[in-house]
Amino acid sequence: MSTLLPEPHAYRPGKLAKLRDGLRYQGGIGQWSWMFHRITGIGILIFLIIHVIDTFFVVFNPALYDHTVAIYGGVFNGQYFWPLRWAFRLAELGLMATVLYHAINGVRVILFDFWSEGCKYQKESFTAVMIVFLALMLPAAVVVILPLASAPDHMVKVPENTPVQP
Amino acid sequence: MARNRIKPQGGFELTAWYFMRISGLVLVFLALGHLFIMHIANNVENINYAFVAGRWANPRTGWIWRLWDMSMIALAMLHGFNGLRQILDEYVHGAKARVAVHTTLWMVMTTLLLMGSYAIWMFQVDKAYVDQYRALNPAAASASAAR
Ligand code: HEM
Ligand code: HEM
Repeated sequence: MSTLLPEPHAYRPGKLAKLRDGLRYQGGIGQWSWMFHRITGIGILIFLIIHVIDTFFVVFNPALYDHTVAIYGGVFNGQYFWPLRWAFRLAELGLMATVLYHAINGVRVILFDFWSEGCKYQKESFTAVMIVFLALMLPAAVVVILPLASAPDHMVKVPENTPVQP
Repeated sequence: MARNRIKPQGGFELTAWYFMRISGLVLVFLALGHLFIMHIANNVENINYAFVAGRWANPRTGWIWRLWDMSMIALAMLHGFNGLRQILDEYVHGAKARVAVHTTLWMVMTTLLLMGSYAIWMFQVDKAYVDQYRALNPAAASASAAR
């Protein structure tokens, strides 16, 4: 009696394995610095899209602009919410870190492109990126977080909506 | 990333490759400078309509800030959307799907670029509004006057 041997299972990656392979890139520091570069690039772009829309308020509705930026100080609809102020301060710090990393690592990538020997110092240059990043980020964090220790200077009051009168 | 950097051989992709690098270097100055001005030199809680008016409509230095913001928005938009296009091209391969993705990206980018440029070029101070705001916020008025 001959038994029919089952077909050898072809390797079919599932959705998760596909996603993991799609995101992988040779491994090591190069992979991580590249992945962070990509994530921070997309993050800044998303922020920038919102930022251009809110800055656009400036030309057609000053009150709407002031109402929007008052949220930075924790004032929403004329009322003060301290968690809102904390959340925006921390998000602000996150945004600074995002832009700073993308900028410094971007310069490193550009150095590699125009100075081919540079690639040999991939590990060392990434350490340098981290040192520069921390050296700029730590003082910035102090400046950004310190105002949270005291109450806001003043509670912003936004005038009623008025038509633009240039 | 560094072991085999891929540089395009020519055509549009090579131009885009150079553009990504040149715009990146200019943005180091423009975007980090912008963040420094907004967060370190000023307190973000003091940013309001009058603050923006004091920058863009300043008779002496207004053109500098308008030029700064104009360069920043053009470079950051093209750099960011071209970067996003490169990422999406790695995952979207069908010809039709690519045309759809590229068209959408171009339309969104053009709209945002026009909105941003319109704000920079067309900005005029609404003096009545600023007076009303200052009357309601005496502390804010002195904070932005001190700046
Ligand atoms: C601050 C200075 C900046 C520098 C030095 C810089 C540098 C770079 C470099 C060298 C690349 C790689 C390009 C390539 O491999 O062809 C890149 C990619 C990218 N950048 Fe920037 N950039 C900066 C600012 C920005 C800003 C403001 C945005 C968002 C609006 C942004 C979004 C992106 C995106 C989405 C990518 C694609 C990432 C990828 O392909 O993985 N960058 N940047
Ligand atoms: C939370 C952090 C930020 C704050 C508080 C802030 C604040 C401002 C303010 C008040 C303006 C109005 C114009 C002026 O006074 O110059 C402005 C415009 C602008 N900012 Fe920012 N900014 C921030 C982060 C960024 C980042 C990270 C980028 C770069 C990718 C950026 C790009 C721009 C551009 C392109 C304009 C001109 C917008 C337009 O024409 O509509 N900003 N920003």
